[in-house]
Amino acid sequence: MAMIELSHLSKTYGSGENAVHALDDVSLEIEQGEIFGIIGLSGAGKSTLVRCINLLETPTSGTVTVDGKTMTSLNGKALREARRNIGMIFQGFDLLMQRTALENVRFPLELAHVPKAEANERAKELLKTVGLEGREGAYPAQLSGGMKQRVAIARALASNPKVLLCDEATSALDPTTTESILELLKELNRTLGVTVVVITHEMRVVERICSRVAIIADSHIAEQGEVQEVFLHPQTEAAKKLVLPSRAGKLEGFAEAEARDAADPCRGELIRLAFDGMTTDRPVIADMILSCGAPVSIVYADTRSIEGKLYGHTVLQLPGDEATADKLKRWLRDQGISYTKEVQ
Amino acid sequence: MSFGQILSLVPEALWESIYMTIGSTALAYVIGLPLGFVLVVTAKDGIHPMRALNMVLGAVVNFLRSIPFVILLFFVTPLTRFIMGRAIGSEAAIVPLVISAFPFVARMVEQSAKEVDRGVVEASQAMGASNWQIITKVLLPEAKPSLLNGAAVSATTILGYSAMAGCFGGGGLGSVAINYGYQRYDFLVMFVMIIVNVVLVQALQESGTRGARLADKRIR
Ligand SMILES: Nc1ncnc2c1ncn2[C@@H]1O[C@H](COP(=O)(O)OP(=O)(O)OP(=O)(O)O)[C@@H](O)[C@H]1O
Ligand SMILES: [Mg+2]
Repeated sequence: MAMIELSHLSKTYGSGENAVHALDDVSLEIEQGEIFGIIGLSGAGKSTLVRCINLLETPTSGTVTVDGKTMTSLNGKALREARRNIGMIFQGFDLLMQRTALENVRFPLELAHVPKAEANERAKELLKTVGLEGREGAYPAQLSGGMKQRVAIARALASNPKVLLCDEATSALDPTTTESILELLKELNRTLGVTVVVITHEMRVVERICSRVAIIADSHIAEQGEVQEVFLHPQTEAAKKLVLPSRAGKLEGFAEAEARDAADPCRGELIRLAFDGMTTDRPVIADMILSCGAPVSIVYADTRSIEGKLYGHTVLQLPGDEATADKLKRWLRDQGISYTKEVQ
Repeated sequence: MSFGQILSLVPEALWESIYMTIGSTALAYVIGLPLGFVLVVTAKDGIHPMRALNMVLGAVVNFLRSIPFVILLFFVTPLTRFIMGRAIGSEAAIVPLVISAFPFVARMVEQSAKEVDRGVVEASQAMGASNWQIITKVLLPEAKPSLLNGAAVSATTILGYSAMAGCFGGGGLGSVAINYGYQRYDFLVMFVMIIVNVVLVQALQESGTRGARLADKRIR
């Protein structure tokens, strides 16, 4: 059974003419022990979705089930108990500014009336786990952004939750710090088995740690599945727009005019190669040029090699001559490299 | 009166002023602190919205705050007499002082509690905090520096009111200034009392600001 199950979830803010449908019939299943990404543009409804999971936001309709408990049927004390099973971290860290790191981590234990000595012991241990040993007495104002988020993570884990919700948890951090926080989340997922839900607008965050992803656009789940699958072969328009940024008229890295020139029809069609890890990390484009004896130009490329396999996208402009272009395309098919015609 | 004689009036008047101010401030907080929190908690965006109660309490606070102190002082005389047994003297002055100060204090407290970051309150809710725990473990401690600053402002305001009460039968610096200074045209007395009052205001404000700064862990 899924750890988190959202079923026909809708959330409407306001009513009448000013009604905002932040979520519209969203259904989602997140399995025990996975790191699940939810990605979408600003205003898509990501925060609303994640806040519905611990009922910080009451859904207008639909049900939320976490670890077998129907959250949407709980109230008062029962809801507060259930929330202790769900840790949450935020973009702004949201630490208590008048408490030390240790006291912050101890806070959820105080709420649950855990004896002080025991709570202190556990808080110390957690700070050690997140790499903040020796900073127990520091106040949030004395810590860097990355350290604050580590304190927040320790605090979220204090009550031994089954689920950790992260709403844009790395959006306020620089790339290096982001990397280290993502690494920590992955580590905690592996060692504690905690199910992690990552809300973000950054593809690299999802690519880095998530096993599955849901794309949310205009209050709907546009697409969901394995990260590689969704990112390399997006099916819906919404997903393509998010995952393939250069499709939106302009080719990334080029100015508008350059992009138009680059796409000049008399200079041949544009094709997009998708590398999904099936190709070994070898100089594919150079091979193609040498084998076919024809030049191509690289319009856009975003590929990386992970464990010797090639992932990502490259947009090529083929020569205007159709026969040569066909030859190149045939070579690609023979090599088992999938491509699609790039629409302008 | 000689300067020496004037100075000999100071200790008792000063003590009465301090006594009225501290006493009234303390009592005003006994009522105003919970009231301020009720206003924040029951507000539309509070942790337990209660529209009707919030509106009624807000209206009462606004009503009391709109009555000028001098008028209130005379208006509540029957009440003062009922509570204190008399309407004259430092103790008696505490009644109108508290009645006029607690709505002001409630607004100061409300303002301080509102400054607490909404995100922190939500994070606490996400951790399963009850509303009472949010008030006692989040709002109150997080607002502490701001509350201390507010207390200094409240105390100095009440000190000012106490001088006014002194002019109309209360004790303290105000009463000496009026009785010796104004009625007997001894402006030196008035001047000395003003100076003492100024020093007292400075001391109250400074200790409040200092206390707030020491308590605030966001700096340093
Ligand atoms: N409390 C609220 N009252 C009214 N409308 C709201 C409220 N919270 C969110 N909304 C609206 O719901 C929609 C979805 O908001 P949400 O915060 O979930 O988006 P998001 O995907 O998290 O965006 P971002 O990336 O900017 O954080 C937006 O149109 C927003 O204006
Ligand atoms: Mg958001």
